[in-house]
Amino acid sequence: MSKTVDMRVTIAGVEWKNPVTTASGTFEREASGAFYDLSALGALTTKGVASEPWEGNLTPRIAEAYGGMLNAVGLQNPGMDVFLEKELPLLKEYKTPVIVNIAGRSVEDYCRAAERLEDSPADMLELNISCPNVKEGGIGFGTDPKMAARVTAAVRKATGKPLIVKLTPNVTDIVQIAKAVEGEGADALSLINTLLGMRIDVERKRPVLANKMGGFSGPAVKPVAVRMVYQVSRAVSLPIIGLGGIMTGEDAAEFLLAGADAVAVGTAALTDPTAPVRIVKELRSYMERQNFSSIRELKEAFSE
Amino acid sequence: MKKEVLQGIVRRNEALADNVFRMEIQWKLGRDDVKAGQFVNVYPKSRETLLPRPISICRAEDGLLTLVYGVVGKGTAEFASYKPGETVTVSSPLGNGYDLSAFEESAAGAGKTALLAGGGIGVPPLLELAVRLRQKGANVQAVLGFRDQPFLIDELEQAGAHVFTATDSGAFGYRGTVLDLIRREHLSAEYCFACGPKGMLRALAAYGGENGWNVQVSLEERMGCGYGACVGCVCGIRQKDGIVRREKVCKDGPVFSGAEVVWDE
Repeated sequence: MSKTVDMRVTIAGVEWKNPVTTASGTFEREASGAFYDLSALGALTTKGVASEPWEGNLTPRIAEAYGGMLNAVGLQNPGMDVFLEKELPLLKEYKTPVIVNIAGRSVEDYCRAAERLEDSPADMLELNISCPNVKEGGIGFGTDPKMAARVTAAVRKATGKPLIVKLTPNVTDIVQIAKAVEGEGADALSLINTLLGMRIDVERKRPVLANKMGGFSGPAVKPVAVRMVYQVSRAVSLPIIGLGGIMTGEDAAEFLLAGADAVAVGTAALTDPTAPVRIVKELRSYMERQNFSSIRELKEAFSE
Repeated sequence: MKKEVLQGIVRRNEALADNVFRMEIQWKLGRDDVKAGQFVNVYPKSRETLLPRPISICRAEDGLLTLVYGVVGKGTAEFASYKPGETVTVSSPLGNGYDLSAFEESAAGAGKTALLAGGGIGVPPLLELAVRLRQKGANVQAVLGFRDQPFLIDELEQAGAHVFTATDSGAFGYRGTVLDLIRREHLSAEYCFACGPKGMLRALAAYGGENGWNVQVSLEERMGCGYGACVGCVCGIRQKDGIVRREKVCKDGPVFSGAEVVWDE
């Protein structure tokens, strides 16, 4: 006799109907919403938004690689004015929390973005200090514990909304960064962002990406991400959104077992536009098969 | 209607020229579900090729999709290996097709001349376009350029287009470029629809602009998702207020007005 499955999770005080959200930069309301009902997800995470418009990098921005892909989009976004006026109201029409990923080139820039969202209906903020594709800001903040702490502390003062900090794997010790961020008032962590990589076209003998280097994502990065979620979850008490190469419901379960409280689906949505909702269904099937009635039960089943 | 990723069945898949294949796919969509100039994502089965390949729609009949594609890498090489009866994973039609509003009413379309300009693997979407324009009563002239092996000439003629052909090598038809041939034949049209290499599109947009044509160009760019989620494929597009914004080739295009495209970003 199988139990009823309750997939709800609470992340930093916000209830999600299931533990699956979109990874920033791989979801767009209109484009993704053309393929599935966005309300079926636990939360919707936007592409990075900055206080002012950013035009991003030159093309080619995308390069395929074995088991994944590189991107060097460079956080192209229309800026906070357009986002608040045109995008957020439409995102809020779906029956699920909205997580706004914020980008910046300086501490003040991040704070401006967070302040602008303070009176908005955004449910949570995700602080992107881990984008490898921008020259200023981004990963520069995420690779140094002192800088990560400084920007987290400043944004913490600028917002009363639940604050998720997204971490980069491109560091010697991610636990050190996680602890630094926890100490300055982050409410949750998301990890991992992409791994800095590069591809060279051997026929043309030049980099494939216009930006030369880009962020590597996809199924090949999953073991690295699972390892980092495992390490960080044992060192901090914050809820963790795990991501990195999740392609199936079983992959999502792997992150939850490793210590994540929720997961985000990124590259899979580029290779299958319906991947986020498919993964919710597959995770539910896994829970039924394993006789788990809640995400907590699933997580507690891990043994080592 | 929701967009989907669909399973189709390969009916035919054969070479048209060196490294150019035509695949006929049985699928559940009809002719009215497709606009000329749209594309589909074809999803390779190999684990080595994670991302979909955007392929322009060459013909759309009820229940039958025809793609003509170049074999340029691992993904398209896999497609070329598909045998009749095999399944193929394709998306619903994506992107905005050519804007045919000037030809919409039969009275408006009848007698108007459309100039279709295609280069190499940019030729295929012009076939569906020619069929639709002829049905609206337009006169259709197609100027096609190839390296040395032409394809789809007969099909375009059967669709009712007056076809002019150029090759770089001179092996077939006029020796030179599409624009050379347009000049030589003194071809003119109020409406020009183009698909091909960026250099050709750029030259056509400039030439059409000088001659007061309305030129629509279908752009190609390295895509990630192919449906508007990843912002991987962008092109600078001059807005009405003069500001240049990077728009998504897959979702906001692939067809843009030639006059709006910023060619050298």
